[in-house]
Amino acid sequence: MTHYFLHVRNGQGYTRDEEGQDFADLPAARAKAAESVRSIISEEARAGVIDLRGEIEIADAADVVALVYGFGEAIEILQGKPPQGPAGT
Amino acid sequence: MIEKYLMKLRARDTISDAEEAAIRGSISDVVEYKADQTFIRAGQELFHSTLLLDGLMCRYKDRSDGQRQITEIHVPGDFADLHSFTLKHLDHNIMTLTPCTIAKSPHDRIQRVCEEFPRLARIFWFSTNLDACIHREWEVSLGRRTALERTAHLLCELHVRLGIVGLARSDGYALSITQAELSECLGLTPVHVNRVLRELREQGMVEFRGSEVTLNDLDGLKRVADFVPDYLYLGVPERGR
Repeated sequence: MTHYFLHVRNGQGYTRDEEGQDFADLPAARAKAAESVRSIISEEARAGVIDLRGEIEIADAADVVALVYGFGEAIEILQGKPPQGPAGT
Repeated sequence: MIEKYLMKLRARDTISDAEEAAIRGSISDVVEYKADQTFIRAGQELFHSTLLLDGLMCRYKDRSDGQRQITEIHVPGDFADLHSFTLKHLDHNIMTLTPCTIAKSPHDRIQRVCEEFPRLARIFWFSTNLDACIHREWEVSLGRRTALERTAHLLCELHVRLGIVGLARSDGYALSITQAELSECLGLTPVHVNRVLRELREQGMVEFRGSEVTLNDLDGLKRVADFVPDYLYLGVPERGR
């Protein structure tokens, strides 16, 4: 297990994670970062504005950043006209 | 030993000396648990109920994908599972969040108390109703309140519940739980909770740091949470008990 800290940097500034969590490996920490961004985005969607200009820094106990996860990586947005279904549906 | 439990009862009912003696007589053992120990698992047959004397514990359920939902935090003076008296096994787990001291109340002794003091039976019933009230309020939080509102609401609720048993000041209280555990109460991730706490701090309402909640603007926090403590049924009206 590795203890990683997930610091958030976005329009609201820098929110430092003082507590951190144990993860099996870096991909597990990355998965938690994705879940966290989606949780934040879902809240923003309720308010009508989604700000994807943030990132999560995944840092180890020595404060070395192992990975930077962009908010935009957590979500796929499909836009435009609805895809054509079979006639009559 | 059970002073906090008596404080909790007397916040809502009068308890006579004879009733107090009966409650004291229902305790068989006092046990210490370490932090983060699941001492009751769903499905396990139970022969006693657990009264929390000191520390914090919670009811929780785990999903198959590893996600955990804490469904209620217990503060000193709470029975963690008075409902096991009728259910005999639980549909959820109970774990300590901090080191805890508990008193065991064997179900056969609770039964005797209920038979000899029917009024206490109604008071025990009220106690499980009160847990249901808290569950309903958490349901509203998880289903309808924003992350900011539900965090504020929980911090307001704990202020009242800890205050009943003399463990809160007007401007704050000790809360020895992690942000990860808080996120499991709120259906959020630790990162999201961290951000929400930052927002509440920057708005000058509340700080949660180093196991200490500091209420800088309790009225403001209540407004954000739309916190109305009626569901905690404080006061001693005539309820026919």
